[in-house]
Amino acid sequence: MTNGLTDPHRPRQSRARQSRAPKSHARRGRALRDFIVNVALLAPACGFLFVALAVPSVQLILVSFGLAGIGAKVGFTVQYYVAVWQDVLFTSAFVFSLRIAAAATLISITFATILTALLQVDFPGRRLVNVLCKVLLVVPSLVAAFMVLTIIGPGGMAARLLKPLGVIWPSLLDARSGIGIVLVLLCNSVPLTLLIVPAVAAAIPRDVIEAARTLGAGPGRVFLKIMLPLCAPGIGAAGMLVFIGCFGSLAIPSLIGPAYPRAISVMMTNEFLRRGNWGTASVVGVAMIATTAAVLAVYHRLAEAAGLRNR
Amino acid sequence: MTTFWFIRSPRLRALIAVLVIAVAVLIFGLPIIVAALWSLVDPDTGWFPPAVVPPRLSLANWRALMAVPEMAEAFRLSFTVASLVTVLSVVLGLPASFAIARRNLRHRRLIELLVLTPLMMPSVVPATGLGSIFIRLGLSQTLTGVVLAQTIVVMPFMIRIVTATLSGVPQDLIDASRNLGAGPWRTLRLVIIPMIAPGLFAGALLAFLGSLEEFILTFVVGMPKIQTLPILLWAYLGGRSSIQTYAAVVSLALLAPALILLFVAERVLKTEHLAAGFGKA
Repeated sequence: MTNGLTDPHRPRQSRARQSRAPKSHARRGRALRDFIVNVALLAPACGFLFVALAVPSVQLILVSFGLAGIGAKVGFTVQYYVAVWQDVLFTSAFVFSLRIAAAATLISITFATILTALLQVDFPGRRLVNVLCKVLLVVPSLVAAFMVLTIIGPGGMAARLLKPLGVIWPSLLDARSGIGIVLVLLCNSVPLTLLIVPAVAAAIPRDVIEAARTLGAGPGRVFLKIMLPLCAPGIGAAGMLVFIGCFGSLAIPSLIGPAYPRAISVMMTNEFLRRGNWGTASVVGVAMIATTAAVLAVYHRLAEAAGLRNR
Repeated sequence: MTTFWFIRSPRLRALIAVLVIAVAVLIFGLPIIVAALWSLVDPDTGWFPPAVVPPRLSLANWRALMAVPEMAEAFRLSFTVASLVTVLSVVLGLPASFAIARRNLRHRRLIELLVLTPLMMPSVVPATGLGSIFIRLGLSQTLTGVVLAQTIVVMPFMIRIVTATLSGVPQDLIDASRNLGAGPWRTLRLVIIPMIAPGLFAGALLAFLGSLEEFILTFVVGMPKIQTLPILLWAYLGGRSSIQTYAAVVSLALLAPALILLFVAERVLKTEHLAAGFGKA
């Protein structure tokens, strides 16, 4: 995407042709200068990000093995790992978070894909919907959570409006299945998918779709055979972002959801904020990084395999 | 993309329009009305089910926004932190965006991966690591600590958006400027910056809003001393003790700047740029 317009070689080549004699020397000098400029440009941001990500990660791993602990005696141990592994509160929390994240991801990418398809139709008011998608994106996630809670919560608008009709609104928020958490998480994840998937769909050349239509493919066929495959990378990327965000979500699961199981982030932060137990929290953190890395790796594999098959 | 490849029947299109707009109104209109009503509930009479509208309205909760010290403080703090994070993201991120977009980098993939990493990690993980380090460095529960922590998750959006914009600047313009005798700084100031201004603005805006709503890192690094609006909202939603009316006021106070900034910038915020920020392509 970037290569079409950038051409950093061009001015350099023309200059190199003029001064042919001290070739290697000049080239090496220029390469060195380029290198220094690159480093100078990249160092502030990349240095900051590297330090800010690598140091805490190393710290996390060390603390999880009982090294570099805070307020605990120092010495290599795997006791925290054993403790987390044997504690059903942690293992069930882990499964719970994975389930919530999977549900939120599936629902939001399905919704975004269907809406993207509908947005290809030129109906009156489409621009309004486009603008509203952007509005959704800037709504702070806790504000969205508050708004959803006032509607679906106990004593919320839905319950009040349905009462005269004789419908008892189910208590969703503390449901054991975690459906309340998923519903609230959706108001953050749907906008994210709605940003990415339509942008990818917009990049599909119109000719392809026109050709398919002219050759007799119906709307459903165009959707399944053209739009879906061409949007797949975008849908996948959006899905990954949503999955990771929901898997690690903290604010919403700490406010609503069943008393057991809790979400993994809630268990983890409780561990160090309430008990000062950084060792156990670090083990959970390491497990979360490993899970995310595994999910990303599997996704990457699948995406690559699918890409090869398409070709 | 004013195509209608999907459905050609006008009646069906009208049906879709009605359906989508009805859902949109339901999703947007109803919650905002309910939130506004909650913020106007008279604290003396309350608003209990099954009443669909509060029995009496008052502005008492809005007055509390300024009168309750923690709310006024959170308001001030949130905007201070968001401004600092935005400035820091621009200062650190702009040179890197330039390098990624326009320079010949040997380890481009690696650098792009590093920039993406904060988005690919549940942010509670770096938060925990930083939390324990910041305690040692004395940055825990300080403004500096919160600003540094938020910049980690906010800057990547900024870098990606500006990179996408920068790679759209035609090389010819830069070459022309250089050929006509402008030095690198002059070219940057008179050619590149004006051309990428929309993207830069979009990136800064998203950084500002991202910082304004950031919860996890602020929670872990800043609690309990540094309370931004989202932390306070969390407290009112039941994290500390549930105060629905205050939650409504803080929600609307947090929503208003986001909406205002969005409408000011609507034309500038191209969906492609924003999408690039979130890791598309």
